[in-house]
Amino acid sequence: MELAWYALLGLFFAGYLVLGGYDYGVGLLLARGADAPRRRAALNAIGPFFLGNEVWLVAAVGILFGAFPVLEGELLAGSYPAVAAALAGVILVTAGVQLRSRPGGRSARTAWERVIVVGSLLAALGWGVVLAGLLQGVPLRADGHVAGVTHLFTPFAAATGLAVLALVVAHGATFLTLRLPTVESDRLRPLAHRLLLTATVAVGAAAVVALFSDRVRTAAQRPAAGVLLAMLLVAALLAARVALGRRRPGVAFAATATALALPVLLVGVTLWPYVLVSTVEPSASLTVTDAAASGPTLRLLGWLAVPLLPALLGFQAMCLWIFRGRTDGRAPVYW
Amino acid sequence: MDTLLLARLQFATTASIHFLFVAVTLGLVTLLVGMQTAWVLTGNHRWERLTRFWGQLYVINYVLGIATGIVMEFQFGLNWSGLSRYAGNVFGAPLAIETLVAFFLESTFLGMWIFGWHRLRRGAHLALLYGVAITAYASAFWIMVANSWLQNPVGYEVRDGVAHLTDFAALLTNPALWMALGHVVSAALLTGGLLMAAVSAWHLNRRTTDHALFRTSLRIGLVTAALAITLVQGFGFAQFGPVGGVQPTKFGGNPEADALIADWTARFGPGDYLPPTLSNVGLGFMILIGFALGLLWLLVPLLWRDWIIRLRFPLWLIMLTLPLPFVALILGWIAREVGRHPWVAYGLLPVDQAVSPISPWLMATSLIGFTLLLGTLAVTNWTLLARHAARGAADPALGRPPAQPPADDPRPEPAFA
Repeated sequence: MELAWYALLGLFFAGYLVLGGYDYGVGLLLARGADAPRRRAALNAIGPFFLGNEVWLVAAVGILFGAFPVLEGELLAGSYPAVAAALAGVILVTAGVQLRSRPGGRSARTAWERVIVVGSLLAALGWGVVLAGLLQGVPLRADGHVAGVTHLFTPFAAATGLAVLALVVAHGATFLTLRLPTVESDRLRPLAHRLLLTATVAVGAAAVVALFSDRVRTAAQRPAAGVLLAMLLVAALLAARVALGRRRPGVAFAATATALALPVLLVGVTLWPYVLVSTVEPSASLTVTDAAASGPTLRLLGWLAVPLLPALLGFQAMCLWIFRGRTDGRAPVYW
Repeated sequence: MDTLLLARLQFATTASIHFLFVAVTLGLVTLLVGMQTAWVLTGNHRWERLTRFWGQLYVINYVLGIATGIVMEFQFGLNWSGLSRYAGNVFGAPLAIETLVAFFLESTFLGMWIFGWHRLRRGAHLALLYGVAITAYASAFWIMVANSWLQNPVGYEVRDGVAHLTDFAALLTNPALWMALGHVVSAALLTGGLLMAAVSAWHLNRRTTDHALFRTSLRIGLVTAALAITLVQGFGFAQFGPVGGVQPTKFGGNPEADALIADWTARFGPGDYLPPTLSNVGLGFMILIGFALGLLWLLVPLLWRDWIIRLRFPLWLIMLTLPLPFVALILGWIAREVGRHPWVAYGLLPVDQAVSPISPWLMATSLIGFTLLLGTLAVTNWTLLARHAARGAADPALGRPPAQPPADDPRPEPAFA
């Protein structure tokens, strides 16, 4: 039961990184100096999906609170600066995207675009550092609380933050090659190609830093699985690059989406059966079972999730289906 | 500096901003459902224009509702990790249900509704708005279930120092729940209705174009607000019984409260177990505003033969009353939330045991940072709302046909989207 909920938590957070990831990637690409119509076209390429993307985060935190209350408190409070930065980023992007085109003036719209860029940057870096913080262990004391927040400031956390940032930008560019009209997509392809290379290098660098980090080596319960998944991540990025070269943006997007989801799986599998590994007091480490809510709560939520989950995923799929394909001038322009 | 005080201030600030926006969201979406239904049933172009105009204001307002809602959701973990640890088994369940059942679907539907104009069949497009409205109400319901549990913890037992869920049905029959839910929902209708009436009154007073359109929305808004204020008053006074029963200390000292305080002093140690006067002062002013808004009924007969428009001063009155429901909302929540001080979960978990053990400097940075961020966004959002309200219904961006260039933009931006 705990495992099922842990998997569901992973599914929703990974789903958020995949879907929110291209929002932030597109957001960051607003800074690349395209003209105003192209910037607006990029925002409307996310258009109908935007509101449905970010709520995966809300759902993930809901599951975290409902099914893993102890983890929720310690993870969020214990990674306070990273979570707060990511949260500020999420807020800036959500407001920026939705309000950007409401004022008519050019300067106001440019200002909102800067808000989106800064927000996307914060969100990508913040979630990267949160994932790194899990993987390198936290100073969890015997009383069950994480001591301080300085444990986050390590080279590995910085490298992971940058790697997630590079992943998100490459993912966003790949999304645009899939979604914009063919002419625009052709213009963007070289850029996406370069960004995928950057992302591969950044992920490789983070992996190397991890191998040299004592804390990561100690915290990893299944290092072999971790290394394997990291290699899979690099392979996904290379596959995306090849697919893009062969003008298969759909395949490329599937590959970058896999690359965005894999870090969550990597953290979950590498630390299993723990979710918070203590760096100061090995016996204080928190297992998934200990972190989970008690039986009656999980059963109640389980009864609810069985009918609900297909509905949630179904309506999201419906949104993707209705607005599938390249943007073609048939949907209204709103963002 | 005191981490606890800073954490409480941060929650109060975020929650206050949140309520100002979600009340409008909940109120307007109800009225929008009516307008779009009328459009689909009658095919009358006027209802489409009303839906687009008020829909655009609704969508702009929605932005800050989500933004502050997400911040609140995270704050439970960031600032109140003791609450998650101690009460997460019980309190977490309704919150998890809210995010999955309501928030998740509401946003998914809304995204499709915004971009579905001219692309979906009318019936399907209308169904999406019904989805948005139903999930918005579901959201309010589950949040009130969670909040009522904090007001009056039920359906749990404490084992190994942690609360465990024993009876979920008790959460749904909580005496602190139903009257409060009715009160909050009708307050949202009042706010939405009055906003609609006030914006329409502004246009009618200025004699802008679209007289007929704003005449219609003035009538809808005023009648909604008048009906809602009666419900607000009814549910409000109906709460005194159940709330006073489960929270004897809320409304000041009485024999029951004294007995409870003696019990708490024995179990939790000596302390000040009466809420600050702020909560009851807030309550008093809220009731005053409630009575004042009851006078909206006096304006309803003036709808006959449009006297309300012809006399002019009723339009001014409606515009001037617009801030009142917002003030009352904040005061009402202060009465409910500050009134359970010093408890996070009444009689179960004191605030000082719930706050996260983090440094006051970090908490202060977070408080200042998020308050500035959300405060600035709130003011910007209201400015945009006011501008779009003033611009009128000539050509809202929401629901504009894809081929039509925007009227207010000499150099329309995208050629494709």
